[in-house]
Amino acid sequence: MQRFIIEREIPDAKDLTQDQLAEIARTSNAAVESLGVPYVWIVSYVAGDRIYCIHDAVDGEAILEHARRGGFPANRVTPVVAEFGPHTANV
Amino acid sequence: MTTDDLLGVTEEGTYTRAVRLLERSAEVGVLRAALGHARGGDGSGVAITGDSGVGKSSLVDAVIAETAAAGFEVRVLRAHCDPLDTPRPLGPFRDLELLGAAGDPRREDESRAELCERVYDALRSEPSLLIVEDLHWVDAATVDVLRFLARRVEAMPLLLVLTYRDGEIGPRHSARPLLGDLASLDGFTQLGLAPLSVDAVREVVSGTHLDASRVHALTGGNPFFVAEVAKEPDRPLPATVRDAVLAHTTDVTDHDFEVLQLIAAAPDHLDNRVLPHLDVDLPTLRRLQDTSLLSRTADGLVFRHELARQAIESTIPPGGGPRLHARLVVALETIDPADPAVLTHHAVAARDGARATSYARRAAEDANAAGSHSEAAAFFEIALEHLETRDPEERARLLLELAYQQYMTSRLSEAISNVRATFRLWEEARNHEGLADAHDAVALFEYYNAHREKAEHHSETAARIALDATTPSTYGAARATQGFLAYLRNDLVRARELAAEARLVAERSDLGVLGLRSEVVTTVSDLVSGDEAARATLLTQVETARDRGWDELASTVYSQVASLDVEHGRFRDAEQLLQVSIPFANQRDIPICRHWQTGVRARLKFQRGRWEAALEDAATVIGDDGMPLATLWPRLVSVLVPLRRGEDAELGILDDAWSLAEQIDEPLRRLSVLAALAEAAWMTGRTDHRVSDYAVSQLAVLGACPGAEWGAGHVGAWLRRLGLPVPQLARVAEPYRLADEGRVAEAARAWQLLGDPFAEAMAWTDSVVPEDRVTGIRLLDSIGAVGTADRHRVVLRQEGSVVVPQRPRESTRANPAGLTNRQLEVARLVARGLSNAEIATQLFISPKTADHHVSAILTKLAVPNRRAVVVNSAQLGLT
Repeated sequence: MQRFIIEREIPDAKDLTQDQLAEIARTSNAAVESLGVPYVWIVSYVAGDRIYCIHDAVDGEAILEHARRGGFPANRVTPVVAEFGPHTANV
Repeated sequence: MTTDDLLGVTEEGTYTRAVRLLERSAEVGVLRAALGHARGGDGSGVAITGDSGVGKSSLVDAVIAETAAAGFEVRVLRAHCDPLDTPRPLGPFRDLELLGAAGDPRREDESRAELCERVYDALRSEPSLLIVEDLHWVDAATVDVLRFLARRVEAMPLLLVLTYRDGEIGPRHSARPLLGDLASLDGFTQLGLAPLSVDAVREVVSGTHLDASRVHALTGGNPFFVAEVAKEPDRPLPATVRDAVLAHTTDVTDHDFEVLQLIAAAPDHLDNRVLPHLDVDLPTLRRLQDTSLLSRTADGLVFRHELARQAIESTIPPGGGPRLHARLVVALETIDPADPAVLTHHAVAARDGARATSYARRAAEDANAAGSHSEAAAFFEIALEHLETRDPEERARLLLELAYQQYMTSRLSEAISNVRATFRLWEEARNHEGLADAHDAVALFEYYNAHREKAEHHSETAARIALDATTPSTYGAARATQGFLAYLRNDLVRARELAAEARLVAERSDLGVLGLRSEVVTTVSDLVSGDEAARATLLTQVETARDRGWDELASTVYSQVASLDVEHGRFRDAEQLLQVSIPFANQRDIPICRHWQTGVRARLKFQRGRWEAALEDAATVIGDDGMPLATLWPRLVSVLVPLRRGEDAELGILDDAWSLAEQIDEPLRRLSVLAALAEAAWMTGRTDHRVSDYAVSQLAVLGACPGAEWGAGHVGAWLRRLGLPVPQLARVAEPYRLADEGRVAEAARAWQLLGDPFAEAMAWTDSVVPEDRVTGIRLLDSIGAVGTADRHRVVLRQEGSVVVPQRPRESTRANPAGLTNRQLEVARLVARGLSNAEIATQLFISPKTADHHVSAILTKLAVPNRRAVVVNSAQLGLT
């Protein structure tokens, strides 16, 4: 599996209510389940006019297929090449 | 090159292929040139036609690809018409992000006219290529928008490309008027695509062992079929295009094949968002990709070609369809916003009556709001067909909705029978108000259908029932309708009584629109009886109605004023009024007024001697399936113009007009037809008992009606010409009175001032002085009434007169009467001193087209230059 960051442009995303986020999550889960390939939605962040999502999938095609089925935009899909944090300093 | 390339798809998505066209270089050249002109602001239209599979979309693909490759800065807008049984209003515009985000392109409460303006503004803001594919499936609202564009395209940076299948747009198709508009454009081209030649087929199958001649004979050179055959060169040759498509599916599992069938059951596309609800996973899509039958667009899965979809659809076993459609309905219901038109399509196919009715009703309401009345009617029909409830009121309401849509699309007889079908239902529900309203509605429809007696009967019934039911608004409305009908048959005493009663109800119950309706009946009764000050009052009432949004009332008042203006010789007033009122009726989509006022304009042009323009309007009303009531004058015009011009006239149409007048049974209508019958009798020398008996015996009675002094004077004049006895008339209009008193020159002058050159000429020819008659004949010749002039020449010769003016030679004859409506419009602007460039801007045409019009006008008016038009504008009747 490969980790991806997906950038979705959604005007006024920052104003989405908790109910709306729950609805989006249900739609996304259904899309994940329907793909028939290994796929994990890790987490998403809402920031300004965008939503940033972290997904694990076998390839970028699966990421796009998930977006189509959910009716979500996927303006930029980028494979994650490394992950690091404060702990990386100690390696 | 692989054979797939021949009919590849350029839709964005996973299955995109490159495109290469064979034997289409001439067509590509035409499109390229047209696009070049469009970029420079000289827009035009191109129609690409041909059978399914001949490569219409591929040609479009190629042009788009070339545009991109050449770095042309042209915005490409590509839209498709809905393949649904009943298309969605403005379906093609939903695909485009031209008017904001994709989806329903209308803004709330936006009229059709406003939407047209918005599309126009969006399109002229930058050079654009607008492609509308599969026009044979188009909806009525889209046709209206495209017609609006077609009338302006010459002055826009736009190339409008339409594709459609040959033979699927017949004379009754809603796209037919659009094709007519386009055909009249200077730069319009139709590209009929021919099948491939044997040589082209040879190129496609090169590298295989297939025999080009055999493949050509089998496929008829249909590029899609050829390509499908060439993709599977090692299989036996398929017998049909269906077999060729199905050959790609031999390795497909049963599960996957069912997915193909599911996609084939969705005629437009299978929305991406329903896939989770249909158990179609990603590995399935990857396997199906190998069939090369599918394509992916931004919206979902589609068949690469309609022929491929049909081939797969044909494999769905009997009884299997409803199950597939039921799955689709349930899946589509999860999508927000759900599209009621699409849901209706699947609910009907799933034989799910409850859903079909409920979605069809919503789709009908959408279509009505978008002004797509033929689609709205179709959806209401579906809703009724599948209605399962036994509630009579619900059925009655749907029937009334359907009837209204049928009225809006000139299907009056059906509208009437549907409203009548509600009578029993309202009775069953013991709903008297509903019953009274239904009678009131059918009263108007019957009147538009030219059955005044039936109209009166229903409006009386409505009033009676409403009185019992004590519903003041319905009672008042019925009384106002009755009053209006009484005015129309010139029974002004009764009209005023009824109007007063309606007004009382309006005041008591505070019903503004009813109050104004009743005032209108009173005022228009004043106008018809000769009180010209009432005209200004009526125009104020129009303004009030327009301000309050009572469009139908406003438009009805326009109709009556315009009609009385022409009846009473106020031609210039009528001209000005119709310039405002016809666009209003068009904009607000009021068919009866549109037809009626266009008919009034036909009469106006006719009386002003504008034969060509009169015929044009008459043909519009008759060809438009106009309401029978509105066709009376158009029928008369379509006989009298050729008769006066000395051409073949279809006299039988006058018999139809007389039957219509008898049916309408109103004095002014009867007088109009009697005058036409008398004129025809005078021209042909035939005896007509309707003239020699009926007209002679009834003229005094008809002429005694208020407002009939012009119509009766006209009939009297023809009776005199025929040598028939003319009854004593209490009152005739001034020019007729002068003629009766033998004051020839004054009568002629009066007609000249009014602007009726034919009546002016006839006033001269009525004289006993030979010189006057020669003057009249010359005048008739000069306005192109050569047929009438010839008749006078015969009479003069029979009388042994020595001075008979020569018939003018065709080539030397000026022909101001031959100006079309468009040319008249241009001529008026020339008379006001506008340059061709200014005229072009004002009329949304190209300067080149303006040039054409102006030179045609100068020729027809036989004047040397435009300055002569300005100087002689009054004489030419262009002020």
